[in-house]
Parts: sequence; structure tokens; C-alpha cells
Amino acid sequence: METGKEELRIGVFICHCGFNIGGVIDIPTVVEYAKTLPNIVCAEESLYTCSSTGLSVIKECIKKHNLNRVIVASCTPATHEYLFRKTCEEAGLNKYLFEMVNIREQSSWVHMHQPKEATEKVKDLIRMAVAKASYLEPQIEPELEINPSALVIGGGIAGMTAAMSLARQGFQVHLVEKETELGGMLRYLYELQPTGRDAAEILREAVTAVKANSNIHLHTSTLVKEVKGFFGNFDVTVQKKGSNELEQINVGTIIVATGAEDFKPVGMYGYKENEKVVTQLEFEQLLKKGELKKPKKVVMIQCVGAREKTGRTYCSRICCMVALNNALLLKKLYPDVEISMLFRDLQTYGEYEDFYHEARERFIDFIRYDPDKHPKVASKPDGKLTVTVYDVYLGAEIEIDSDLVVLSTPLVQHEDGRKLSSILKVPLGSDNFFFEAHPKLRPVDFASEGIYVCGTAHGPKDVTESIAQALAAASKAAIPMAVGKIKAEAVKASVDKDICVNCDACVVSCIFNAIEALPFGLPNVIEVNCKGCGVCAAECPMGAMQLRHFKDQQIVAAIEALLKPKKLAGLGGSFEPIILCFACQWCSYAAADLAGILRIQYPSNVRILRVPCSGRVDVLHVLKAFLNGADGVIVTGCLIGDCHYIDGNLKAKSRVDAMKKSLIALGVDPERLEIGFASSSEGQKFADMMKDFVEKIRRLGPNRLRVKEGGD
Amino acid sequence: MYRIVTKLELVSHINLFKFSAKEIAAKTKPGQFVILKVDERGERIPLTVAGADVEKGTITVVCHEVGKTTKQLGSLNEGGCIQDLLGPLGKRAEIRKFGTVLCVGGGVMVAPLHFQAKAFHEAGNMVIGVIGARTENQLIFEDKMRKVCNELYVATDDGTRGYKGLDFLKDLFKERKIDRVVAVGPIVMMKTVSEVTRPYGTPTIVNLIPIMVDGMGMCGACRVTVGGKTRFACVDGPDFDGHQVDFEELMARLKMYAPQEKLAFVFYEKGGRSL
Repeated sequence: METGKEELRIGVFICHCGFNIGGVIDIPTVVEYAKTLPNIVCAEESLYTCSSTGLSVIKECIKKHNLNRVIVASCTPATHEYLFRKTCEEAGLNKYLFEMVNIREQSSWVHMHQPKEATEKVKDLIRMAVAKASYLEPQIEPELEINPSALVIGGGIAGMTAAMSLARQGFQVHLVEKETELGGMLRYLYELQPTGRDAAEILREAVTAVKANSNIHLHTSTLVKEVKGFFGNFDVTVQKKGSNELEQINVGTIIVATGAEDFKPVGMYGYKENEKVVTQLEFEQLLKKGELKKPKKVVMIQCVGAREKTGRTYCSRICCMVALNNALLLKKLYPDVEISMLFRDLQTYGEYEDFYHEARERFIDFIRYDPDKHPKVASKPDGKLTVTVYDVYLGAEIEIDSDLVVLSTPLVQHEDGRKLSSILKVPLGSDNFFFEAHPKLRPVDFASEGIYVCGTAHGPKDVTESIAQALAAASKAAIPMAVGKIKAEAVKASVDKDICVNCDACVVSCIFNAIEALPFGLPNVIEVNCKGCGVCAAECPMGAMQLRHFKDQQIVAAIEALLKPKKLAGLGGSFEPIILCFACQWCSYAAADLAGILRIQYPSNVRILRVPCSGRVDVLHVLKAFLNGADGVIVTGCLIGDCHYIDGNLKAKSRVDAMKKSLIALGVDPERLEIGFASSSEGQKFADMMKDFVEKIRRLGPNRLRVKEGGD
Repeated sequence: MYRIVTKLELVSHINLFKFSAKEIAAKTKPGQFVILKVDERGERIPLTVAGADVEKGTITVVCHEVGKTTKQLGSLNEGGCIQDLLGPLGKRAEIRKFGTVLCVGGGVMVAPLHFQAKAFHEAGNMVIGVIGARTENQLIFEDKMRKVCNELYVATDDGTRGYKGLDFLKDLFKERKIDRVVAVGPIVMMKTVSEVTRPYGTPTIVNLIPIMVDGMGMCGACRVTVGGKTRFACVDGPDFDGHQVDFEELMARLKMYAPQEKLAFVFYEKGGRSL
């Protein structure tokens, strides 16, 4: 084995976990087996490896036997890897020279009634870990300095709130606003619900506070032109409108609070053709300025240009409430005005439902229209309007004469937001709003570290929600700035420039912009931006790009260690499929753990190999598995849309799809390769997936290459 | 069938081939490309021509082993044959007397650049050459370039030889009057050169070889956006105005089949199977 020049000295520690593991697995046999593996210097068992006694045994052995690799076979790394790594460090061993084998959640708990098979599986898993450990390398975790200042882009209510929160915590804040004055959309709003406060009042307070705070450096009429650098040290170029001069700002974090604009429904319902057709925001302006001439009959139409079949397919979330509020304001102003509201699905959640009830009590008409039969607005010669609508509940078309039609239109991304997305290299979603790293776990973060989002830049929201999200974004940004430095993960991509053929595959594949191509094509990994998913490594055709701690060599060693002895042993009497399962460290691995915690039983044929992301799984790994006789390979990852690296699982899927076609060239049935997705809460689904796959492979019979002489 | 009359390994994994192809050699000019197919089931790949010898009836290409097809090509030897060779394709580079011409080439593309630089030199231009590679041991054609350039600069990405990167071009432009720039090489190189010359308005010609299938304007695979318009590199190019090219799109389009390309390569290399 070639890991530098040192001699390998591996120690294996196997845990009984009381009866949890020891009650199913024959630990003494496993210990004896481990001793027969290459480079094993000691193999020990303990009742609880994570107890202080168990940990001190590890430390003593590291010293006594001069161990340079440590393997613990016990529970899931999700809960205990940290502890064992720390123990290794305390004994002077780099923590990346530690490898963990999950024999509880992924063996004893899921094969409780098959002690013999479960014990065989544990032997396989330990053999795989020993093989991988032989190729492990020590890693250094670099430290990053964080400049304790922030850039907040957008001076609406979200931006001002975030800026104030950070400034009050003592950080320097650069607040950039493209307009001449602060306030954004709030400047056009009137009464805000549920409190009924005037937007102008809130605006005044916020602007006064921002202007009075000496930690906030205000840049109005200013646009962000360029952002370079990375988390902790962004170099931002801003430009005052109408000036050629550029200003440089250095900040540690960035908050995007660029808001949204309302959709102008030109060409719909006579908007811009008849001045009596206005948008809800324009109507609110008339109310606010007291410029509304008393109408007799008003018709409001909801979902104008929203929830469409293509393009703006999303619900703008706030329009139902805004329309209700404005209708009630109008009723208060002129109680005898008749109002009809044409809606598709009225959505007023929580306490907003009270406003709906109030509207009913004030005799506002609610008419449900059919999205396939949009209402029609026609101008009459006298300047009045006729609205024709098919009333879904009545089952008939009705005509309403009206002297004002108000159209509720969605919030949409604006041109400057689109530009900013490419300047910051952060994604927009299919609705064109800024797209967060994870809808549940990282709702105000971008996948790129040090950049956060809040307010309507992220999607339609009311003022309350925008403020809450702004405070959340400010808190997230404050953490690294308060700490002053962060320790970066050591699991990063790195390139071997002698093997690289400057094909740019890694550059294009990295969604985090962590790889730039130098002029002559050499990829340069910007380590601060690298998240350690390994997609680039799987994409690199030459194997030049590698992910530290999950190198091809390490993964292939584990695969070969699993399969080669089986191939040598031959099929024996009856056919037991050998299934290799790649599991991403976030969701599918956690789902496998949960299956264990819930004691959901599934066939013991499955051997799980942990990878950072399903997107790390390389064509080479799958090929090696089949050439060495795996009967089935299943790649598992997070649910589509939930990938912790945005699209790693999609890349894995397209790779598996492409690979299926190619397996025929090996004489391997494409059915032997599968991809599945499970969230961390789907233990049952994971177990079912394994059960179904094992059954399918059992039907297919052994992989021809497992039986055939030679092979790889 | 087209015979390989010469094969030279210039550096590791970069080979120079001379194919016997009399009709093609008679018509090929700098800037043009050929499409070849190694065997019956082979993939068609475009390669920019690095030289043509009318008398001997040969054309020269220099090829980097970057995938299954180029690896397979690299495994062939002198006397061996490839199934098909199609060309010359694309428009000829505009070669005449401009005054001072800066020729920038990177990686394997220094070879076709040399074909152009030589022509510029013969047309009476003052030729400044810049050649580069990701690292020192990947540099090719240095001596040949020296012969046709009045001045030659060498650069590498990692700084192991000559200038590190292309930042030095900015200083060069401050000091010198350059009438025309030709950049042939990696996309980032062509983009970088175009950005350096943009403020000076110096005409900057880049040679684009996107994914191609037929190479004759039928399939549309090689579409590139130039000045906001869709152009086909095979028939409208391969030379385009570097200040107008959407390089980002080009780079993304080139990687459209990255998984399939890798699959073919890994199966060929590690599995011993042609897909």
C-alpha cells in the first residue's frame, strides 16, 4: 500500500454497544477476523467504545502500538464520529486518519433476526474500512479571517432592518440603495395589516434610525457593479448613478435585500388602455394620497398574471390579503360603494381570515372564477366598464357594470435583481426570485458561504415576514463576524496538474463557483468556496480532480475490498446477491440510520458506502463494482430539490441514466444499476427501496462477471 | 482510409500526426479544420489544422489525449490508418499585411496558431507571439514559433515557465501599438485576451471549435452566440470577433455531454470496452 513512505499500523476497535450490537453480531469472531486483515496491529472489543474507558483504550493503543490509522466499528458517524475524531487528535493522530464503520444502525438493528448474515456483513464493512483507511491522508483545516463588516444591498424595509440589526451589534454596515431615497416598496404602501399601522410611520422610524446610526454607511443612488473575493473578504465595487467613479468596499458578509417590483399587466383586462383599470398597488396609492374619486362599483380581479401555466406559475402570497385590506379601507371611506372580488382561491391564512369575515359582513361580493375562463373587461361608450365572469358556484356567466377595475398582480423579480444574481454568482429559482441554500435548513443563506438573502428578493412576502427574515439574515451574518474567523472543512477538491487535460469539466460542473479556469485551462480551486461535494471529481474525465478524504483511490479500495474476496470464493451453493449502496452523507445515509433506529428490517445483502453527495459517485466506482462482481449497485441521495449541494443528486441521476445504457457493453443488465432518493425522515422508504432492489437482483441472478474467471 | 505518415509524441499525451490526404492538403489554409473518425463506430471530432504540405500531400494535426476518441487516436502509430478525414472545413483565416500582429496560443492549439503565425510572417507582418500552457512540461512548438515570430513570450498558469498567467499582456498593450490580435487556445485564454484588447479596440480574432457533428452547417450543434446573434462555428467561422463572443455560453455548451464523454473514456480505459 502506498501512503507516503510510512508503514501502515491500523487499529480496529469494535463496540458491543451493550446488547445493541453484541446481542446480534458475534463480536469475538469479528475481532479475530479483523486481526487477519492487512496491516492490522491491534483489534480490540469493548462494551461501550464511546465510554471514557473505551476512549482511553483507543488512546492507549495509539500510543502503545504507534497506530497511524484508527477504525471504530460501532454506531453511526452522524452522532459519534466527532467524539472519536477528537479522541484521535488527543492522542496525537490527525483526525482525518480515522474511519468509522456503522454496524449498529446499518447492521445489528436492521438484521436483528439474521445474526449469521449480519456478522458476515460486519466483516465485509470492516474489510472495506481497512482498505479505505490504508489510503487516508492527514488533512489540515485552514482558518479564515472574517472582516467584521457587511454589505446590505437594498434599502427597503428588509435591508434597513438587517442593516440596523447588524449596526446595533457593533458591525460596520454599508447599505447600498439604487434609488435616491430609502424605503423601497414601503414608500408606496398605505395601511399595513394586521396592526393597521400606516406604512409611512414605519418608514419614517426606520429611515431616521438608519440615518442616525454611525455604524451604517449609506450609499444611495448606487449600484453594485462587481463582487470579487470570498466569504470573510469580499471586494465590492459600487458605482454612484450618473458618475463614472467607482468605489471599493471590503466586507466580510453580504445580505441581498433587493426587493421586488409589481407586475404591470399591460394588455390584460384593458390595463393601460382604459384609465379606469388600475393595479392594486396603484389603487393603494390613490387611497393613500386621498386622490380616489368616489366610485359606485368596484371590481377587483385576483391572480392577474400569477399562477399561470407557464412563466409566472407561482402564487404571490400577499395579494389576497392586500386586496381584502384595500377593499375594507374603501368601505370605511365610502360605506355605500359596492365591491366585487373575483378570485380563484382566496388564501388568507391565520388571523388574516378575520379580514375575510369582516369583508363578508360588509357585503363585499366574492365571486369565484375559473382559471380556464378568465373574466373579461370591456369598455362601454359612456366610459364605464363591464366585467363578464363565469361564476363557478353559480354555474353561469354574469355581467357586472363597474367604474373601477383593480387588478391584483404578483411581485416579480426586477432587472437589477437578475444582474445582481450573476454579479454575486448566486442562483435564481424558477420563479426568478433569489434561491436559498435549503428551504428548511438554510432558509436565509445562499449555498455560497457568507451571502444571505431576505425580504421580497427571496419571494413575495408581507412587511412582517420581510422584517422577520431580515432579522434572521442579520443573525446568520453576525455569527461569523462575531467569531472573527472560521475553521474551514478540509474536505475540498484538489487537482493534479500533471494528469489534468484542461477540459473545463470541473469548472462548468461546480455550482459554487469554487473552480476557476486559469487562462491556459489549469483549474484553480478556490478553497473557501468549495463545499466538498465532489461533483467536480466525478465529472473529471481523467481523475485529475479529486476530493480529499473521498478520493477515487480510497473509494475504489473499499469497493475492491468488498468484492474481490467474494469473487474468489465463487458462488457456492445458493445465490446471495451482493449489493453495493452508495449513500450521501446527508439524507439517504441518515434515512438508513433512521431505518435502524426504528428497527425496520431489510435484507442483509446491502453494503453501504458513505459518500459526501450522490453527485460524488463516479462512473469509475460503478464500473469497478460491476467488474469485480457486484450483483447490484444502488446510488442513493437526497430527494430531488433537497440536495445539500443544490444539484448533486440531479447530476448523479443523469450519470446513472447515461451509465445504464453503457452497461450493456459490459454484458451487465442495466437493471442492476439503480438510483433512489430518500429524505432523512424516510427510514421506511429507504428500507423498502433496499428490499425491492435486493428482490429484483435475486430474480436477475448473479452478475455474469462475478462468476466469470478473470474480469478486472 | 487515411494513412498516418508521421506520428510524434511532442510531450506526454500530445501527439503530432501527419495524414496522407492529398486533396485536403491542396486546399487547406490556416484557420481551417478537419473532422476525423478513427474507425467505423468512431466519434467524429473536429481538429484545427496545424499545417499542410501540398507537395507531399499531407496535413498536420496536433492532438491532446483528452477523451476516448483522442486516446484511441493516440494509440495509433505510423503506418496505421483512420477511417475518415473530412476537410478542409470552415473559413480561412484572414491573412494579409496588417502591421503588427499579436498571435496568442495556448496548450495544444499552439500548433494551429503556428500555421497562422507563419502565414502572417510571410505576409510581411511584424509578428509577436505568445505561447502558453498550464504548466512547463506541456509547452509545445516553442522553437517553431520562435522561427516565425519577431518576438516570443512564454507563459504558464502555474508560473513554472515564463510569465504567470496573461496579466503581462496589459503592460504589453500599454507600451506597443498592435494592429491585430489572433487568439487560438482554451476558451478562458481567448476570453482573457479579448478583455485585454477591448479597451484598445484592437481587432481580436478567436478560433472557436465547439461541439460539432457534420461540420457543414446542417446540424447546428456548433452554434455560438456572437454579437447577440446565433452563428454556426463550422460555416460562419471558426474565426470570430473575440469582443462579440459569448464565451460563457460556449464553455457550458462544450460540456453538454460531459457525463457521456467521461463514461466512454472510463469504459475504454478501465473497462477495455468501446461504447
